[in-house]
Amino acid sequence: MDRRAFLQTGIAFSTAAALPWREAFAAAEWRSYELVTKVELQWPEGASRVWLPLPMTGDTAWQRSFGSSWSGNAARAQVLSDGKYGATMLYAEWPASTTTPRLEVVSRVATRDRAPDASEPRQDAERLSAAEREFYTAPTDYIPTDGIVRGTAQKIVKGTRSDVDKARAIYEWVVENTFRDPKVRGCGWGDIKAMLETGNLGGKCGDLNALFVGLARSVGVPARDVYGLRVAPSAEGYRSLGVATPAVTRAQHCRAEFYVAGRGWVPVDPADVRKVALEEPPGNLPLSHPKVDAARKRLFGHWEMNWLAYNMGHDISLPHSEGPKLPYLMYPNGETGGERLDQLDPDRFTYALTARALQA
Amino acid sequence: MKLALVLLAALALPAWGQGGLKSWTGDATPALELADTEGKLHRLSDYRGSAVLVNFWATWCAPCLEEMPSIEALRTALQGKPFVVLAVNVGESARVAREFAGTMTLGFPLLLDRDTRTAKAWGARVLPASFVVGPDGRIRYAYLGALDWASPEVRTTIERLVP
Repeated sequence: MDRRAFLQTGIAFSTAAALPWREAFAAAEWRSYELVTKVELQWPEGASRVWLPLPMTGDTAWQRSFGSSWSGNAARAQVLSDGKYGATMLYAEWPASTTTPRLEVVSRVATRDRAPDASEPRQDAERLSAAEREFYTAPTDYIPTDGIVRGTAQKIVKGTRSDVDKARAIYEWVVENTFRDPKVRGCGWGDIKAMLETGNLGGKCGDLNALFVGLARSVGVPARDVYGLRVAPSAEGYRSLGVATPAVTRAQHCRAEFYVAGRGWVPVDPADVRKVALEEPPGNLPLSHPKVDAARKRLFGHWEMNWLAYNMGHDISLPHSEGPKLPYLMYPNGETGGERLDQLDPDRFTYALTARALQA
Repeated sequence: MKLALVLLAALALPAWGQGGLKSWTGDATPALELADTEGKLHRLSDYRGSAVLVNFWATWCAPCLEEMPSIEALRTALQGKPFVVLAVNVGESARVAREFAGTMTLGFPLLLDRDTRTAKAWGARVLPASFVVGPDGRIRYAYLGALDWASPEVRTTIERLVP
């Protein structure tokens, strides 16, 4: 029986945990996607500006960029990077005389499922310099690594020795103790100190995976959030972990990675475990449910790449803007008349994203 | 991703804009050595002494196709002068590029950057991206987006470069 065809049927979830996922992921091939981001400012109130995140431009073993194209009536367009994390964006501006600022960006990327073997050293594993290790264990504005964050992490990893064991303990703790809160706007901003202090551990990917990253960093395990967008249905049958239509305007999703010397960056996604628990039909599944349990096992060390990565940046200052820093850049951002537009309200902004798989 | 590379790339990003070619203020000219759809190898250094328009494009990039006839018109207008167009297809196969060439009469070679390394080295993250290289091998102008290359303004700018 063809393995991919079997996975696509979406049946037999009770056996999913027993499947050799690693083998399936390793055999996965590159798939290409086209993402179209359209922006049209309906009510400009003076000069207008837009910042659109572009798919990650550096090639990895799991994502390659074939570039983007742009068209529209912008008076000026410029590819910019935040300079610290390399978060790449297309910046465009219009004078007050432009009645309907428009911009369309078409991006093409190829992705491949990720399943690095974190249990064995690899010769070709990425190596972090001392400066990079420091960088990926440092605090950000919303992700402190001291106080309650470190105190919580120290309790979680007590008795563990290796970085893999620490990361595993933190992953399991996040899965066990948090929940997906559908009332949170967007993906959540990841104010993990507030989450821990209030004891409200509900949120979405921007909160729950940031919690994983902060807890890991606070005990010396390099970790980072990866911000991106779901672009296709899940080939493994998880309705909640994919998109059902080409319209992906609200399909932003961030993930996380931790680093192990000799193994490289290891993908995780505890937030998606909680998404499966909340949203997989019939909904509100307990962690013990086979679907959730399978996802929990798989999402430590695996990413299905029906998703593309934009960047790994935190505390982004938008170039040419005097507005506040963004916790991250995962949505189109804009300003008109000096006022920041609501990035989480695509219908008023307005912007729309569509994605489609390309033929091989 | 190497942090150092990221920082370097951030510093090297050029300024772009509409309304005509923009003077280049970025880094030194990256190397360019690619085969065309017929298998002939082209090195940018082979064209020292000529002005060279390096245009990064793809068949899925609508504005790229939109500006292509104007690039051909510019090439025709400057025929007989030391001016060369190198159109670099980003990330597609020779077959795709050849099929496209069959739809348009173009008198310049279509180079193949299958692994997109050259496009990335030139900072061509958004297409179309064009660079005008002077006879001395230095980038003089750049432009991001579709441009009317046959416009008198652009033609005059490039003619000034041609020895």
